[in-house]
Amino acid sequence: MSVETQQTGGGRFPSWIGQYLRDHLLLAVIVVLFAVYPFLYDFLTGQFGLTAQMILPRTRTMLTILALGLFAMSFDFISGYTGYLSFGHAAFFGIGAYFVVLGHNGQLPVVPAETSFMLLLLIGALVAVIAAFLIGLISFRLSGVYFAMITLGIAEMMYVASNNWGFLTPGTSDPTEGVAAGSPTDVGFFEPMVGVPFVEALQVEIGPFGDESILGISVGDPQIVSYLAIGAVVLLCYLMMKRIIHSPFGRVMIAIRENEERAKAIGYNVFYYKMGAFMISAFFGAVAGALFVGYEGAIDPTNSFFFLVTGFALVAAIIGGLGTLAGPFFGYIFLEGVEEFLSREGSGGGLQPFLEQNLPGAILDTDIAGLTINEALSAFMTGHGDFYAGIIFIIFVLYVPIGMLGTLRNRYGTDSLAKYVSAGVEKRLPSSDGETAATGDDD
Amino acid sequence: MLRTNRLTKRFGGITATDEVTFELGDKLTSIIGPNGAGKTTFFNLLTGALTPTEGTVELKKDGGWVDITGMDTHETAQMGIHRSYQITNVFPTTSVLENVRVAAQAHGSNSVRFWRNVNNFDEHYEEAYGILDRVGLADKAEVPAENLSHGEKRQLEVGIALAGDPDVLLLDEPNAGVSSEDIDAVKAIIEDVATDHAVLLVEHNMDIVMDVSERIVVLNQGAVIADDKPENIQGDPDVQEAYLGGYEAGDLEARRQDTAASQGSGTEPDGGGLA
Ligand SMILES: Nc1ncnc2c1ncn2[C@@H]1O[C@H](COP(=O)(O)OP(=O)(O)OP(=O)(O)O)[C@@H](O)[C@H]1O
Ligand SMILES: [Mg+2]
Repeated sequence: MSVETQQTGGGRFPSWIGQYLRDHLLLAVIVVLFAVYPFLYDFLTGQFGLTAQMILPRTRTMLTILALGLFAMSFDFISGYTGYLSFGHAAFFGIGAYFVVLGHNGQLPVVPAETSFMLLLLIGALVAVIAAFLIGLISFRLSGVYFAMITLGIAEMMYVASNNWGFLTPGTSDPTEGVAAGSPTDVGFFEPMVGVPFVEALQVEIGPFGDESILGISVGDPQIVSYLAIGAVVLLCYLMMKRIIHSPFGRVMIAIRENEERAKAIGYNVFYYKMGAFMISAFFGAVAGALFVGYEGAIDPTNSFFFLVTGFALVAAIIGGLGTLAGPFFGYIFLEGVEEFLSREGSGGGLQPFLEQNLPGAILDTDIAGLTINEALSAFMTGHGDFYAGIIFIIFVLYVPIGMLGTLRNRYGTDSLAKYVSAGVEKRLPSSDGETAATGDDD
Repeated sequence: MLRTNRLTKRFGGITATDEVTFELGDKLTSIIGPNGAGKTTFFNLLTGALTPTEGTVELKKDGGWVDITGMDTHETAQMGIHRSYQITNVFPTTSVLENVRVAAQAHGSNSVRFWRNVNNFDEHYEEAYGILDRVGLADKAEVPAENLSHGEKRQLEVGIALAGDPDVLLLDEPNAGVSSEDIDAVKAIIEDVATDHAVLLVEHNMDIVMDVSERIVVLNQGAVIADDKPENIQGDPDVQEAYLGGYEAGDLEARRQDTAASQGSGTEPDGGGLA
């Protein structure tokens, strides 16, 4: 990979940017698609009404997907690449989320109340790194199964603590209900700014009541601004993790997954590499938690430390493809998509409102075995997204064990999908600077 | 290069290695012995995969002897002792090239660089290609290791051990299970790598052992019962007794079943190949 050596060409941007985009064409296209999604959604639902609403997840849902998708990627970073299933990964999500809330509320030692969101996000992630170090010290001495069980146990302990520890809610409220940033009345509002620290122009306030314009462009909806700002952070995290995966360090992680005994025998102190990988994954897991809270403004134990938070990441990773960095992210879109598709009216539309509007009432009210079709739909489909997601999960485990992205990658040979796309386009384009080999990687 | 002093390993009641005092020099040395004699266990003690019950292992480094008893496998590998495995032990889904490349990368400090793309480290690729040439796998570089034929996997086994330019190479039955057509290829590799490494070879195929070795050590029930030039080994009465010839028809078969029954493990697919 030698993008730095491309010095030719003029124009407004240095030429390596063009080269990079060409090498990572697939990534660029996907990023653009994500960036225009909220506008596309508004346009399509305007054009096609319920049909589009039925199929497409709302921007609000996509916002959740960004944070939880990043979490699923961080889970895959350790689990899919070193083979050590981090069943307690929710601990890091929780640490990241709670750190932001408690930090803002001034409940943490050393950290002054109303510290900026970006700083809290960063320190919280470092706290998660330290936690991973301590957890790793205990659990990496043993084999993979013990690692999974010990991490799970530690996360469960945190879950119980977060449910019972009165310190979290200094007022009178119940810790199981969660904590909100800015809830004790003596601290200011939670106004999380996302962007480049100290550069005013490159920051926006996220949250339901945040800014309505980004980079000076008004989009009129704080939700879209939050989506774009959080999306940018998620993209940055993805690129960082991808970079690590493709480094010599990442290759050692893969060697450990493939055959830890041999990795040791060729001279790797695998303990250090496992620790390093675990700490990195904890960092990004905590960032995901912080981003989640950035928009929600509050967190509760069930949405953070609970083992199902890891469970969903695992399901997303298996559907999307364990050991493909982006796979779990897409797996999450798929999961949430199914859920929203089958959700009740008023929370994203989906199948039910679509059928209600498009099928004649007579059909919906037809009586089969004592239930009308409408009632049957409510009983068996709507609101049971989790159930169908579970079925889809089982189908994936049985028939697509390497997941969506893994399957695509196998289909297009050992070369990564991105190379395939870039090379395909390269062939069709008249070569401008004689550079033919596309050297992008995708994950 | 490498020496042991009264090296002993006991598993419960079994003494798998019995007070072995041995020094490996520049001569290509083979270890032979019936199934369960303790050859693999001896290798495991030398590399640190097993901790000895008693005795020491020392390696010559820069003219002096360094005690490496009790070191872990990654440490002995860094010290320059590499091994290949009797039962193929590679990175199955990564390419043949990556199998060797990642082994080459283990030596030096590049492995901790998590912020640079792996393709910037040409030296490891060059070393890996050189080794693939040497073990005859250059045209299989991009093939996932699990898709190789059995013979090719044995070649890759040796290739991985070669990466990082070890001082001592321990080859545990590189011919295990290799079909007779492919044996010559593996034999050529053994002779080739012996030109620039101290090699200790475990081998069941007597034709190869007699042909390539300059020195043969015979193990029986964990103990060294002979240590000599190949021509003398064949005539040694103790060896005849324990191992070579000198047995009644069916004796060896019976012995093998004995050991197999008592160990419940440790047999390899080639079934001995004792000439
Ligand atoms: N980890 C272990 N635990 C218990 N016993 C063991 C262990 N490893 C080896 N042994 C025993 O030690 C003895 C020597 O085994 P070893 O594998 O070293 O023999 P070997 O000479 O390599 O045999 P082969 O020719 O079959 O490869 C056997 O009796 C075996 O059952
Ligand atoms: Mg053996």
